[in-house]
Amino acid sequence: MPLFRETGVVDDVWTKLADDQTVPADGPVLVSLTRWRGARAALLARRGPIGVALANSDAVESLAGDVSRLDLVALHFPKFSDGRAYSQARLLRGRMGYGGELRATGSVLRDQLPFMLRCGFDAFESDQPGFADALAGARTLFSVVYQPAEDGRTPVSFLRLSSPVIRGRWPAGPEGESSSEVTNYNY
Amino acid sequence: MAKNLAGDLLVASANRLVDGVVVYLDDAGQWTTELQRAAVARDKRGGEILLERARAEGFGVVDLLLVAVTEDVEGVLEPVSLREKIRASGLTFDAIAAEAVRYA
Amino acid sequence: MPDTYFYRYDRYDRALLSERIAQFRDQVRRRLAGELTEEQFKPLRLTNGLYLQLHAYMLRIAIPYGTLSSRQLRKLAEIARKYDRGYGHFTTRQNLQLNWIKLEDAPDAVAALAEVDMHSIQTSGNVIRNVTADHFAGAAIDEIEDPRIWCEIVRQWSTLHPEFSFLPRKFKIAITGSPNDRAAVRVHDIGLRLWCNERRKVGFEVIVGGGLGRTPMIGKTLREFLPKDELLAYLEATLRVYNRYGRRDNLYKSRIKILVHEIGVEKMREDVEAEYAEMKDGALKLPAETIEAIARQFAPPPLPHRPAAVAEVEALKLSEPNFALWLKSNVASHRMAGYRIVTASLKPAGAPPGDASAAQMEGVADIADSYSQGEIRVSHEQNLVLPHVAVEDLPAVWRALGQLGFAEANLGKITDIIACPGLDYCALANARSIPVAQRLSRHFAEIARQHDIGDLKIKISGCINACGHHHVGHIGILGVDKNGVELYQLSLGGDVDFGKTALGTILGPAVAADKVVEAVDSLVATYLENRGEGERFVDTFRRIGLQPFKERVYAAV
Repeated sequence: MPLFRETGVVDDVWTKLADDQTVPADGPVLVSLTRWRGARAALLARRGPIGVALANSDAVESLAGDVSRLDLVALHFPKFSDGRAYSQARLLRGRMGYGGELRATGSVLRDQLPFMLRCGFDAFESDQPGFADALAGARTLFSVVYQPAEDGRTPVSFLRLSSPVIRGRWPAGPEGESSSEVTNYNY
Repeated sequence: MAKNLAGDLLVASANRLVDGVVVYLDDAGQWTTELQRAAVARDKRGGEILLERARAEGFGVVDLLLVAVTEDVEGVLEPVSLREKIRASGLTFDAIAAEAVRYA
Repeated sequence: MPDTYFYRYDRYDRALLSERIAQFRDQVRRRLAGELTEEQFKPLRLTNGLYLQLHAYMLRIAIPYGTLSSRQLRKLAEIARKYDRGYGHFTTRQNLQLNWIKLEDAPDAVAALAEVDMHSIQTSGNVIRNVTADHFAGAAIDEIEDPRIWCEIVRQWSTLHPEFSFLPRKFKIAITGSPNDRAAVRVHDIGLRLWCNERRKVGFEVIVGGGLGRTPMIGKTLREFLPKDELLAYLEATLRVYNRYGRRDNLYKSRIKILVHEIGVEKMREDVEAEYAEMKDGALKLPAETIEAIARQFAPPPLPHRPAAVAEVEALKLSEPNFALWLKSNVASHRMAGYRIVTASLKPAGAPPGDASAAQMEGVADIADSYSQGEIRVSHEQNLVLPHVAVEDLPAVWRALGQLGFAEANLGKITDIIACPGLDYCALANARSIPVAQRLSRHFAEIARQHDIGDLKIKISGCINACGHHHVGHIGILGVDKNGVELYQLSLGGDVDFGKTALGTILGPAVAADKVVEAVDSLVATYLENRGEGERFVDTFRRIGLQPFKERVYAAV
């Protein structure tokens, strides 16, 4: 399955390991949450980056102490209409501070991209024709967002304030939309 | 008395993708809005073949299904179920009453 | 065009709409070109309000918090003429449905809507739907605070919400700002009731897990009192719990009411509060300035002083009995002396309930311009409301509505029937609804008799999805299909009045289509024979129980 980032198609350097496959001594490997839990110490002791693949029913909270040790978290869409992984993504990015690659796998279609990008996904496995072009345009498809999410965009309600709130992860809005003054608003 | 919904005679129907209009597959493999021009399968096996043909011609339609029909002595087709009767012949009441269009 | 006294779109709102239309146009193009399968396309069209019904596509247009300007209503009429068959159907969720839209025209139709700052976004699909409100909002005498301010805040937050665009199932929110609930908040996925606590603070009671449909349930209180500025944080917490844990294995068990029922409201509360604790005082807390800026746009119109007692009105009451009855049933108190709230009945005898032709829509728009500050509301009972009518203008408004066929003095009466589109239009229905409503409304057409029978709400659904709210009808009628024959199951005693939300009790075996009128006639006769002083139908039912009604009906049919 081709792997996309916003820059275009990229090589997938990760080895996806089934739970009964032997872990290679080095190189990036992607393991299930079950395996991660069972063999955490051994996995961390080996050379090479570790990724964890979660089912959309897995509790992301179980990775809470480990997000800085992981280079990849893969979240699965068994059907494109099953949206649980959007919540998992936001929790990983927003609440748990995960900064590595966040990959969408399974049924990943271009029309989901604006939502996925806003929830913090930055890598996508898809075989849909036209996916790369759609991804390149997905972040700018909507110039306006109404909610804070995990993409650092300023919600419209804050752009409308006479003294817009500027927080660390929110860049200033479009030109002329915000003053450089930093105001705290009831945070 | 309950009607036999299974029916012996079957036609293939769908809604046209572009406008949602009800259509039936005719003998030439074209989709027609006229139920009376629909190709009729006379048994279960014929129904399966009809559905296969409909699928093959399914590019411009959605929600394919087989519809049970009866045929009178003059060969006029009539769907068995009320739902299909309504699909074939439209609303069972006047959509807008005459009074409702009077105001201008 | 008069100024509007509700939320006005700014360039951000308009930019989002136009970008959404461009996206939808491209999606339709890709579908017609075969680049998208129907399975892939379906959720895309649904979240733009486009259904496939029996004979055509249907476009469901949102009328947020049920509020329309005359200009918007005229545009709806124009769209109905240009892209449809010249009429539309007002629904129980403050939407307008056009029944004969072509897929290829749908992008142009929504572009036309955007010209008047309207849309069809999220009127279908497994997303947060159009947020509904009390149709008397901003005019009602009993109002604590205008709920539309909060509906608009929720509308914006929920629009294209990235986390909640693929929920287990649809999600409906209703908000009321009055103790007399006119928004049916206990039968929504989330109902919000503004109230004033002991410390003189106004906040929300958050009610969760109500709903009709296959498994009707009355919502439970998740939180007694939520500070207003925490509304979005609390909603996001609740939706997140639902998105993560709501069932997805069975379509019929995927609403939030089933989750609440299965884990219990205590566990639901625990989960939501834990999630909320993480979000409280965060990015979703509403700055006072944001709330005030939206609230300012809902400032009541500057209504000039008008006399509270008018001789012409009194005289007309005496000379025209129908006017007197209309004043009683269709005219409600307004917060300002000298004004009234008028409901135009979209239930003339024999007409499909809630339907209006383009000409009628234009007629109502004209009346609103002349007599109601250019404003119209859509009620969940499928009627149109003129919220700010001077007492002095009531005779003129009554006559003008009469010309449209919308002055029937039947509000809350036996012919003010709620009905879903039923099998004539709907792909899900098992039986017809509209023809049943038509027969009933013709049978009980005489207005004086309707007033004698008093308040009696008949609600008709063509299948157990309950779009016609039959569970909460004083008389509920549910169409079922038995071996290809339409039968109708009657239930009694449902209600949605606040504090009395109740689900109806099934009367007995379903009756044949041609016996429905006789059956309802028997129910009415039983009530008239048994009613005590001042009792409504539903009060008598509660007092004497099902049996007398049952015996009479099954002896007759």
